[in-house]
Amino acid sequence: MPHAATLEIRGLSKQYQVKGDTLPVLDNVSLSIKPGEFVSIVGASGCGKSTLLRLVIGLEDDYQGDILLDGHRIVGTSLERGIMFQEHRLFPWLTVEQNVGLGLLNADLGEARKRDAVREHIALVGLEGFERAYPYQLSGGMSQRVAIARALVNRPEVLLLDEPFGALDALTRAYLQQELQRIWAQEGITMILVTHDVEEAVYLGDRVVVMQPRPGRIKRIVDVPLPRPRDRGDYAFAAIKEDVLSEFSDRPRDELIAEPRERNAVEWQFSW
Amino acid sequence: MSAYSSVLTLDPVLPTQAATPTPRPRRRLWSALGRALLAWPFPLAVLLLWQLAATYEWVPSQILPSPATVAGTFADLWRSGELQDNTAISLWRVLWGFSAGATLGFVLGVAMGLSPLTKDYLYPTFKTFAQVPALGWLPLLMMLVGIDEALKIILIAKASLVPIALNTYKGLQNVPTTQIELARVYRFSRWQLLRHVVLPSAFPPIWNGVRYGLTHAWLALVGVELLASSEGLGFLIVYGRQLYQLDVVLAAVVVVGAIGWALDRVLAVIEKRLLRWRVEGF
Ligand SMILES: Nc1ncnc2c1ncn2[C@@H]1O[C@H](COP(=O)(O)OP(=O)(O)O)[C@@H](O)[C@H]1O
Ligand SMILES: [Mg+2]
Repeated sequence: MPHAATLEIRGLSKQYQVKGDTLPVLDNVSLSIKPGEFVSIVGASGCGKSTLLRLVIGLEDDYQGDILLDGHRIVGTSLERGIMFQEHRLFPWLTVEQNVGLGLLNADLGEARKRDAVREHIALVGLEGFERAYPYQLSGGMSQRVAIARALVNRPEVLLLDEPFGALDALTRAYLQQELQRIWAQEGITMILVTHDVEEAVYLGDRVVVMQPRPGRIKRIVDVPLPRPRDRGDYAFAAIKEDVLSEFSDRPRDELIAEPRERNAVEWQFSW
Repeated sequence: MSAYSSVLTLDPVLPTQAATPTPRPRRRLWSALGRALLAWPFPLAVLLLWQLAATYEWVPSQILPSPATVAGTFADLWRSGELQDNTAISLWRVLWGFSAGATLGFVLGVAMGLSPLTKDYLYPTFKTFAQVPALGWLPLLMMLVGIDEALKIILIAKASLVPIALNTYKGLQNVPTTQIELARVYRFSRWQLLRHVVLPSAFPPIWNGVRYGLTHAWLALVGVELLASSEGLGFLIVYGRQLYQLDVVLAAVVVVGAIGWALDRVLAVIEKRLLRWRVEGF
């Protein structure tokens, strides 16, 4: 069982340079996350949620403020910190099992243990029978499930999930939310989940962090003091959900679910 | 797991519905056959025109022998063994020149793709070097290495080196940062990054370079044999022209074209096998 870590974010700010202009993306974000805590982050698209995760995972070191893990400044990436990116980022030349297996490439396990872990996690996301399939043969939802399996397979202390269930149908989504919660409770992993689904945020989180854009900052943190397993039809649950939703009343809802559509490469060809 | 089995059966994303609907295999076979057949009308029309030109003597037969004459000459050249001998010599030269050029080109491309410093040192020189066609180097090289095998090998190597080096370099440059980031998240070593991400990702453009390289090697071979050789298919063409045997010239030209085409087909078939992870259908 991995020992979960305390994550301390203090006065974090981040800018990007866009054509000579400075674009503030995160402004003075502070958040303290206890070991084994589950934190949900919601906010309009463009308010810096993905950027925040990129900084915590250690892909960028050009920021102001502190990101401390158990009191130590994070330096670069680490196998203790896992991430599932917003896009599935599967390697198109690898099969499903090879893609999941890459997550274990540098894990401290024997080959047999690795094979078992890969098989277990493919089963976990319900893709038995697709072990040898290539990404081009999978739907968006299936690819996302492979990415979930890859993120979970080496059981990091801190796991960051960037809209992991966005492309899934309602039933698969509900099932994987439960499974994620089960693994979280069982392994004591610290989890940060970015989502545009307020119900999902309340269902899974110990706290829901509401962010606002331009520049990205924390608007409010809502506690979810409900025992698990939670009942979505419960009055207290609905009240908290309403409370979080009320933070968005001043902006059009569709901004929350804007997703780029992929273009078909042959659209510009003549049909003959 | 029992909760999930119901989810599985209801899951709308089953494999057959996953990608864009693909035509049933039988239909696809027919459409592939139909597309392959489309390649034939044009050459057949040219052949017909040639036959007509010969029959009605639009062009004197010393200049344009009839298809039947050329076929006869082809058979004669085959029976005497001249055709096989010259083809073997040409293929041998291409094999060596291409192997040397491809190896060097790949190493050069990888070096420039991996090390910005190497790229800054070599790229401008390389680009300039690449602008001079293989045959432009011929006079200089003839002075340096004579007109023996070395000359041909070097020129063929040069012809295949350029596209392979360039495509390898560009392929490595264009590896998406999203893929590199994933490798960083999983703490890949430099070698793991190269082996598991960079090379597979760059493989399609590199292979494209190899295909161009082989085509260029074949073209350079015929060119250099035309100008400086006493053997090979290119020589057969010059030889036929010198004796005013245009049937020999044409027979050799057809063989040159056919082999060039076949070489590229071999690489295309290998490509289909190696790149089966890419969306099918082209
Ligand atoms: N590499 C980058 N260069 C410039 N601007 C960026 C970059 N990455 C993100 N941004 C900008 O930062 C803002 C926040 O992006 P992001 O973190 O992806 O938001 P979210 O995940 O909340 O939708 C957006 O305005 C986006 O355009
Ligand atoms: Mg995002």
